[in-house]
Amino acid sequence: MSTPIRFALIGNPNCGKTSLFNRLTGARAKVANYPGVTVERRSGMVTGLTKPAELLDLPGTYSLFVTSPDEQVARDVILGKLAGERRPDLLIAVIDACNLRLGLRLVMELKSLNRPMILALNQMDEAKRRGISINTAALSQAIGIPIIETVAVNSQGVAELRTTLDGYAQQSATPAGEQTLTLSDRQESVEALYAEIESIISQHVIQPAHLPRWQDRLDSLVMHPLLGLVVLFSILLVIFQAVFAWASPVVDLIDAAFSGLGSVIGAILPDGILKDFLVDGLIAGVGGVLVFLPQIIILFFFILVLEDTGYLTRAAFLLDRPMRGLGLSGRSFIPLLSSFACAVPGIMATRTIADPRERFITIMVAPLMTCSARLPVYALIIAAFIPEQTVWGFFNLQGLTLFALYFAGVASAALIAWIMRRRTSGREEFPLLLELPTYRWPMAYHLLMGLRERAWIFIRRVGTIILALSIVLWFLATFPGAPADATLPAIDYSFAGQLGHFMQPLFAPLGFNWQMCIALIPAMGAREVAVSALATVYAVGEESIDVALGSALAASWSLPVAYAYLAWFVYAPQCISTIAVVKRETNSAKATTFFTIYLFALAYFAAWATYQIASAIVS
Amino acid sequence: MNTALASEALIPALRLDQCRKGAHVRVTGLIAQPLFGTQDERVSLRLKELGFLPGAPLKVIGFGLLGSDPLAVQVNGTKFALRRAEAAKICVELVVVSTAL
Repeated sequence: MSTPIRFALIGNPNCGKTSLFNRLTGARAKVANYPGVTVERRSGMVTGLTKPAELLDLPGTYSLFVTSPDEQVARDVILGKLAGERRPDLLIAVIDACNLRLGLRLVMELKSLNRPMILALNQMDEAKRRGISINTAALSQAIGIPIIETVAVNSQGVAELRTTLDGYAQQSATPAGEQTLTLSDRQESVEALYAEIESIISQHVIQPAHLPRWQDRLDSLVMHPLLGLVVLFSILLVIFQAVFAWASPVVDLIDAAFSGLGSVIGAILPDGILKDFLVDGLIAGVGGVLVFLPQIIILFFFILVLEDTGYLTRAAFLLDRPMRGLGLSGRSFIPLLSSFACAVPGIMATRTIADPRERFITIMVAPLMTCSARLPVYALIIAAFIPEQTVWGFFNLQGLTLFALYFAGVASAALIAWIMRRRTSGREEFPLLLELPTYRWPMAYHLLMGLRERAWIFIRRVGTIILALSIVLWFLATFPGAPADATLPAIDYSFAGQLGHFMQPLFAPLGFNWQMCIALIPAMGAREVAVSALATVYAVGEESIDVALGSALAASWSLPVAYAYLAWFVYAPQCISTIAVVKRETNSAKATTFFTIYLFALAYFAAWATYQIASAIVS
Repeated sequence: MNTALASEALIPALRLDQCRKGAHVRVTGLIAQPLFGTQDERVSLRLKELGFLPGAPLKVIGFGLLGSDPLAVQVNGTKFALRRAEAAKICVELVVVSTAL
């Protein structure tokens, strides 16, 4: 038997499916995409079984009559209709014991497919705490499916589930390319199905009439039109504070570790091309991007906590109306929030948006959220050109400038989304229909596993795309080498230098000099590399780059030029990874070309306007 | 339950989007919403699947910031956020009106 048996977890969103997946697989998820579509495919091998068995974590779904790309994948996999994806041999339907009706409804629908299925009744501990009492044996008999009670927070019930799965694992897997099922047109009405569920529930389940009072009290605060916004903005403030302030010690540590590694290797190796390559190419390139790991982890920590507690959907509820005016909805909030750390995970998070038009607009404007890679560039230029003085009593002028740059990004995103919506108006609306799950205490294990997964995705990207780009850019900046009688910095003679000179006339209306143009080239790999590239072209020593480079820039750039450079970085799609992820998520060369051109055009225009206006004011 | 019958008689076609915060109502049926165009049937189906079926008890728990949109409702113990366009598809009858009204 070559192919292992395949199990699939299926259930409503928020039913604790993914926690159960982590428990069963030891959180060893292989994250990829389903063939041909951009829905995340999570799979792993079930641990502790006598035979190998694969477990698939299907996207959360309410029904087989689908309304979003996510749900469609879940359905197609179950039916064996997704090309290149083998139909699961056994379905593990996961139901939140606190939300029985919705879960049972999906189960009854799945049951009509006549596929082997077992039912995991999840969150049993929480259900008991709320006074919900379920006669599991009788319920199992009534619906004709084996039921196992589980608590995903600890391993209770998971062991029993594993034993059951082991029994199934003894059977052989369906050979690849097996038959597909067809979904019969909805024969029985929703009403009839619900009537059946009601009768089952009334016989075997005792439910209290109300949710715990604190849940409703919390909601009346958090979802209050005004107080709710105060809560939301306070939370956002804490997140930003954490991402930028708490991360900095760790960022400095990673930075120091990489420069330490660089100098150690620099001391060991003889001078030459190998040393240059390792120190300036590899270590500086990879290290320069890896320093963002702490910020990304902190941001995702908050997003995961807010998601697990059930708060994020409340935020989406509050922001739905303001965002709808821009052609977006509350559902766009989470991808855009993620984009403040990095547009790549932000754009990937748009997969939960059902409306293709809204998803498109969200992808198009996500890079305008100021990502953490822009921060080093902003910090350098602000420190060099903006005096550190207090305005209006307590505002720091440098801080205010930074805020203005963030604001420019958000305001532009709003404007562009609005224009894009105008362009495509007159289309039919999509419903919001968002479940507001009950509040829960986040689970440490689940959080840790989620963070580990996100961190790995980022690290893998650093190890592949960014590594390759670092090598290419180092090559461009190193070859051909400077002649023996060179008077200018070596980079001036390299391909990158030549490219910079070649580009300069194009950027002359923006006030950019050739050094600035050169820095734009490696910044295509990652924006923050612009800082080290500027250090290279201005031939500033390795030590205390920030201070020395700052004064070098202050000496050679005029204020309007500095402002123009900042404006360029607000808009330019200065990051190949972002363009690559847009291509992957939209699956359209046309959309990707549009994305790249519109952002470059916007950057050019913004920098030009900034330069011209600032020059006029200064003179 | 007399109140329910009485209000039904007085206001024959009350829709969910016309209800106040804190209102306790019961779903009487779903109607078409032209805003959703060809998708309308699918939206109706999804609403039913989520439990917005005739007879289901429903409570309006809150409103968004502008124009009381979207609204949050609780049906069968589960809370949902709906936009006015979706809420306007749901016909209801009043059961108990909270003191806020």
